[in-house]
Amino acid sequence: MPVSDDTFDHHATLSACAQGDRHALQRLYQHESRRLLGVALRIVRDRALAEDVLHDAFMKIWQRAASFDGSRGEARGWIYSVVRYGALNHIRDTAREVTLEEETAAAVDDAVALAAYEQAPDPFERRADLGRLDGCLQNLPAARRDCILFAYLDGCSHGEIAERLKTPLGTVKAWITRGMAALRECMA
Amino acid sequence: MSGFDSSPDDLQALAGEYVLGTLSADARRAVEARLPEDAALRAAVADWEARLLPLTDLVSPVEPSESLWERITHSVAGLERRAAHAPAARPRTVAATGWWNNLALWRGLSAAGCAAAVVMASVLVLREPVAKPPQYLVVLVGPQDKSPGWVVQASARGQAVDLIPLVDSAVPAEKSLQFWTKADGWKGPVSLGLVRPGQTVHVPLSSLPPLQANQLFELTLEPAQGSPIDRPTGPVQFIGRAVKVL
Repeated sequence: MPVSDDTFDHHATLSACAQGDRHALQRLYQHESRRLLGVALRIVRDRALAEDVLHDAFMKIWQRAASFDGSRGEARGWIYSVVRYGALNHIRDTAREVTLEEETAAAVDDAVALAAYEQAPDPFERRADLGRLDGCLQNLPAARRDCILFAYLDGCSHGEIAERLKTPLGTVKAWITRGMAALRECMA
Repeated sequence: MSGFDSSPDDLQALAGEYVLGTLSADARRAVEARLPEDAALRAAVADWEARLLPLTDLVSPVEPSESLWERITHSVAGLERRAAHAPAARPRTVAATGWWNNLALWRGLSAAGCAAAVVMASVLVLREPVAKPPQYLVVLVGPQDKSPGWVVQASARGQAVDLIPLVDSAVPAEKSLQFWTKADGWKGPVSLGLVRPGQTVHVPLSSLPPLQANQLFELTLEPAQGSPIDRPTGPVQFIGRAVKVL
């Protein structure tokens, strides 16, 4: 499967949804549901819950497609954000209890993700997909980069990251603040 | 929050952690409440969303369960029904009023075993006596037993059609139903997309000429991703021609 398929026009699909074209929503689902479910599942860590998040996200996409402002951002980014924020709101609201097993399993997932990220079978393609973000992440000290990946991909709070990295909470907060500032500067 | 994040760097930091996901539930809600009013914050959030989006490529895709799309269409249909009762809610391309859109009526007709001719007769009897632009109706029937399976209903100006199921047709695993149309004089059929059995689909015809009498519509059985070429490859499941409603 192509990691990013440039032939799918997310913007036009959102416009069609805004016009009440349910077929467009179906095309979006066929094109993105697997990746979106993967993103939601990493954050909520429960299959049924992740599907609920995706269901609610597609409702929101349908209802709010007309409010998407193409001059403000990219359509695909907007769609992924609807799913990620739905998942994040859910876990922040329920303040999930993280068991040691889940913690270990997720850490293994991340180790795998990081390894995949660093030694992708086709590094050229992988780097092309991550674009400038790749180089900028490589420039960060490993711990700061891990904080950002744990937060973005796994929905970890500051406290959860502190626990994973066995690092004081204040240090984690400072790492994230500095890491994000460095990323912004690097990608400017 | 005023004062705390007044500098551009503070605004960027807040937007960044909102997108990253590390804000508490209360802080997230505070950001969401500010977004509609705060253009600078909106821009900062959109920038962060674009910066970090490539990270989603690191996540393995997960196949949704088969019922998920059905749940979504069911809920979308519910939203649309509610929107129909609150007309100001959103612009609508289909006038969802009157018997014409009454799915229960169509399903009921089918359940009663009505043949296409009877459906047409009902249309004539029930039609509202108001001058309207020409409407087209297509009853798609099985090529062998001629039993009606779907109704295609064109919007007033022929710019879109709704494909409405009358029966819950089964599609084998790894296969899909693809919707096609061809008017007299066209070189070949044009795909109108994939269709889920038993579910209504709204299809805009904006890139096609206006619907005309005798225009062919059909549903064919195709690979799961649809026909690999620009014409049908599988057997016809349902077929019918457009009839102008008097």
